[in-house]
Amino acid sequence: MARALSLYVEADTFVQKLDPMVKLLYILIAILIPFVILPFRWVGAVFILLSCVLLLYAKVFPRVLPLLGFSFLILISIVIIQGLFMPGNKTPAVEIFGLTFYKEGLLYALTLCIRVLDVLLAFALLVLTTRPSDLIQSLVKRGLSPRFGYVLSSALQVIPQMMSQVDSIMDAQRSRGLETEGSLWVRLKAFIPLIGPVVMSSLLETRERAMALEVRGFSASGKKTFLYEREPLVLDKILQWALIASLVISLVARFTVL
Amino acid sequence: MKAVVVENLKYRYPSTERLALDSVSFEVEQGEFIGIIGKNLAGKSTLCEALVGLVPHFYKGAYGGRVVVDGVEVLSSDVSELARHIGIVFQNPFTQVTAAKLTVYEEVAFGLENFGFERSEMVDRIDYVLKLLGLYEYKDRNPFELSGGQMQRLAIASIIAMKPSIIVLDEPTSQLDPLGSEEVFKAVQSLSKEGITIIMVEQKMEKIAQYADKVMLMNEGRVIDFGAPEKVFSRSDLETYGVEPPVFTSIAKRLNIKDNDTGLYPVTLEQMRRLMISEPHRS
Repeated sequence: MARALSLYVEADTFVQKLDPMVKLLYILIAILIPFVILPFRWVGAVFILLSCVLLLYAKVFPRVLPLLGFSFLILISIVIIQGLFMPGNKTPAVEIFGLTFYKEGLLYALTLCIRVLDVLLAFALLVLTTRPSDLIQSLVKRGLSPRFGYVLSSALQVIPQMMSQVDSIMDAQRSRGLETEGSLWVRLKAFIPLIGPVVMSSLLETRERAMALEVRGFSASGKKTFLYEREPLVLDKILQWALIASLVISLVARFTVL
Repeated sequence: MKAVVVENLKYRYPSTERLALDSVSFEVEQGEFIGIIGKNLAGKSTLCEALVGLVPHFYKGAYGGRVVVDGVEVLSSDVSELARHIGIVFQNPFTQVTAAKLTVYEEVAFGLENFGFERSEMVDRIDYVLKLLGLYEYKDRNPFELSGGQMQRLAIASIIAMKPSIIVLDEPTSQLDPLGSEEVFKAVQSLSKEGITIIMVEQKMEKIAQYADKVMLMNEGRVIDFGAPEKVFSRSDLETYGVEPPVFTSIAKRLNIKDNDTGLYPVTLEQMRRLMISEPHRS
């Protein structure tokens, strides 16, 4: 049976209990300050360090490692391409296997790597420590259309369901002699008899689900309520104002001191 | 007040020539259990959808006549508002799950959230329906991890939580195994005992004969017969409408065991046993 596409990790820490909007604000600030307002490498590194500390405290750091592993390939390619071929490269820094890496390119690659890691870890903090339904509920409360909220939350479960349905249809077609494994050409040929039933059944299911939603008052007029109303924490407000203050301070620093 | 009043209902789906419902008229009393039978394309599902307003509000098409549910005119009320009075459970348990909630408990809350109920009221209702339908122990499970029968009971629970006075069930056991079907029938039976009006389309005639107060026989969009199960299942032309009578009725017809006062055949084992032990009634 397919499960929901959620990366949320349950743990009893303040990070999990924080208002999702505070975590969204953190992402915004972790991007705005080191990218736009104070574009220095050390600022980005501070945000990476902060995200790592929070991820460790929330007991979700091991779940970040696969994400880091995946991004590692991208980061390596950035270092190689910028280190070797960046147009402004002048000062040789290191030579490996006869290839000269330049200081300017490597420093620029370091900036890019810091930015990639900064964004990745900030988003990981949101995704790994926030129940998807809590995030969507927070957004709906702040004016997001309930229909759009439904699309977001249902995608987490409908996609795994569709994938398991594709498997069922593939098994059915295989039992009738369709070859689905082998060379690329064989797999491409198998794709055509699969796509029809998958699309048709998905459309039918969508229509049925739309009816099932309607008879449960999805389009009912009036104010909606929520089963789980999150109790606002004092910490929410403190962190929210701390984040806003850091934004203001960095702006002041940008236009006065630096 | 009648639970359902249908007067001369006619309906044709968009881009089709044939009437899916043709001059359908009937009334249902509060608390009755109605079984709807008939072959494929008899108009059973369309009638169910007309009762909850999906016809004509969702499907559009040509519509005539009048349907009044719990005192509310279907044509002048939208589907969501009608949901406060009448609920529907469809055939496929998998597509009735919203797919937006991670637990059974939250799934039942979906309709209540849409109607803006207070949290305390929601909790009371959810606890009640989950216990009523034997799902309380699964309350923290993901709905997609339930069996077909459990999922169908969840669909019923989600509808019951909104406290409609009428529930329509459109072949709720057609995609379930015998165990799952039995779970659903028991759930429906307990709802009927609670005084909720039940309108159920079903192909398992023994179950309809066992539970229904009245049976409606449909064919090509028309109501052929509507009355007590014994009356409908005793019809000699039943098979021409693609309906097999319950097994006890078939046996009784072959053995000519019938009630001499009414001339009707038994539809359940209990009725048959009673007729067989009371010699004077045996024909």
